[in-house]
Parts: sequence; structure tokens; C-alpha cells
Amino acid sequence: MPPAEPVAAVPSPTDAALIAAWQGGDEQAAAELVRRHARALARFLAGAGAPEADLDDVVQETFIRAFRAVGRFRGQCRFRTWLLTIGGNVLKDAHRRAKRARVVPLADDLRSSDGDPHERAVAAEAEGRLGEGLERLPRLQREVFLLRAQQGLEYEEIAAALGTTPGAARVHYHHAVRRLKECLK
Amino acid sequence: MKDDATFHDAKLQELAQRLGARAAERLDVERTAQAVVARLREERSAPLRGTWTWRRPAWLKIAAALVIVAGAGLVARSMWQTPSGAPAPVETVDLSDMSAPQLRELLRSLEQPGAPEPVSSQDVGLEDLSPAQLRTLLASLEEQT
Repeated sequence: MPPAEPVAAVPSPTDAALIAAWQGGDEQAAAELVRRHARALARFLAGAGAPEADLDDVVQETFIRAFRAVGRFRGQCRFRTWLLTIGGNVLKDAHRRAKRARVVPLADDLRSSDGDPHERAVAAEAEGRLGEGLERLPRLQREVFLLRAQQGLEYEEIAAALGTTPGAARVHYHHAVRRLKECLK
Repeated sequence: MKDDATFHDAKLQELAQRLGARAAERLDVERTAQAVVARLREERSAPLRGTWTWRRPAWLKIAAALVIVAGAGLVARSMWQTPSGAPAPVETVDLSDMSAPQLRELLRSLEQPGAPEPVSSQDVGLEDLSPAQLRTLLASLEEQT
């Protein structure tokens, strides 16, 4: 049996190529961008206080706003980073409309996870406290913290997305960390 | 052995990375993608309606701004003139009781040569004026300033 020929890896299109394709009318390019970034966006939004019941709606609204405004995206940061900042705006608007308290789904976490129940309970409690601490932070500190600690972005990237300087982003991050540590003590 | 600060930094980082992960995992990405595409398609299929709803607020805002500027000008003028100036000829007339034809008649009489003011705008409601009368009023104000 002859050896199988190596399959040439087809490079996946860049975000910029997908954006251009969407602007040219290709709906599947838009769908691909959603598939590519929806989970990271959902994680960011959930971390920033989006109730899980509303998460899908907030994610959809963020993508809709992003696609409407994509002509103004100048590549000052990555598409995902830009998307996350739009998500922050959508969430702020949603909070303004409905001042619903965030519910930490502790019981659900306990049911759906593996491992030691005590450890899971402790971890869930710590996450709950972190979530509450994040909600009490000023918006900019919260977003800088999540972009840095959760999404792993550099200060330069964060600053470009939020329209501030890397130094200011660093200061916001350190203030956030200091206050969140207090919550976890 | 880690000191407290390092331990807390690592713990915070770890917690932050876990935060929202379960909720994100439960998101049905494909369903979200299809829903977004459907909404975008809907928006694209109604471009004219979109254009109208975008443009209408623009001219409405301009018109509202013009009315506010004119109103502010009138208020400012009345505040400057009231202490020293003579009372305007129509101040004793209750304009709110007058009909639109009566007001037009009044405006015509005030616009006649020799009248002290081309249009006594202090007591005339702007909503009763036609666009042409508003332009005349604005022009008279500009001439005075």
C-alpha cells in the first residue's frame, strides 16, 4: 500500500480576510468570525457580570454591533480585543436597562463538575467572591483586569482597544488586583 | 516556598482564567452564529428603511437645535431689554387666547413700516410661526446684533 500523500494544510483565513469577505456580502464569513470568537467573548462577558441566562443575547448583540461598525475598525488592535470592548459597552447598556443581580450558579457548578465536592465548593465560592469583587470595580479597572488576567493580553493591546496608554492600563490593572485580593482574603 | 503576594497573584490569575469558562462552554456557538447571520441578513434586506431612520434624526436634531438657539436668543434679549427698555407693544395682549389668523394679522401689523419692532417675538409662540416668519425673525435678530 503506497504511503498516503501528505495533506497540505489549508491556512484558515485571517480575521481581516473574513471581515473583508463579510463586507463583500459573504454571510459565511460573518458566521466564521462568530464561531471563532464567540466563546472568548462569552467568557469575558460572563466574567464581567453577564447573567448566564442572558449570555447568548449579549453575545449576539455584541456581534451585531461589531458588524455594523466594522467599517470603523482600523486594526488598532486585534479584532477579538475590539470585539471584547464592544461587549463591555453592550453589557453596560444591558445593566442599565435591567438592574438584575448576578446569580452565581453554585449548585449547577457542583452538579456538572468532576472532582472532590469540597474542592469544587471552595473553588466555586472563590469564583463567586471574585465575581462580586469585579462587579464592585470601576468599569475600566474591571475590563483591564479581565483583558489582562483572563484573556492574557499585553498592556499595549489593552491600551489600544480602550483608547488609553499602556501605563494607565497598567495602573488600572494594579488597582484592580489590589482590590480583588482584598475580596479573596 | 511562595510568599503570600506571589501565592495570591497566582490564585487570582487562575481564578480569573476560570471565571466564566463554564458559562462560555454552555454557549451553543453554532446557534449563535446562525442567529447573528439571520439578523444581519434582515438588516441588509431593509437598507432604505435604515437610511431613513438614520437620516431623519439628523435633520430633526438640526431643526431642534435651531429652535433652541432662537429661543435662547429671544430669552436673552428679553432679559437684557426688560429692565431699561420700554414695554413692548404687545405685552398687554394675551397671545395664548388669540387664534392663528389673529396672530398672523398682529404680525402683519407689526411688520408695517414705522412699527417699533419688525416682529415682537417676546410673547409670540414659535410654534405659531411659519418657516418664512421664523426666517424673518432670525434675520431681524441678526440685524440687531
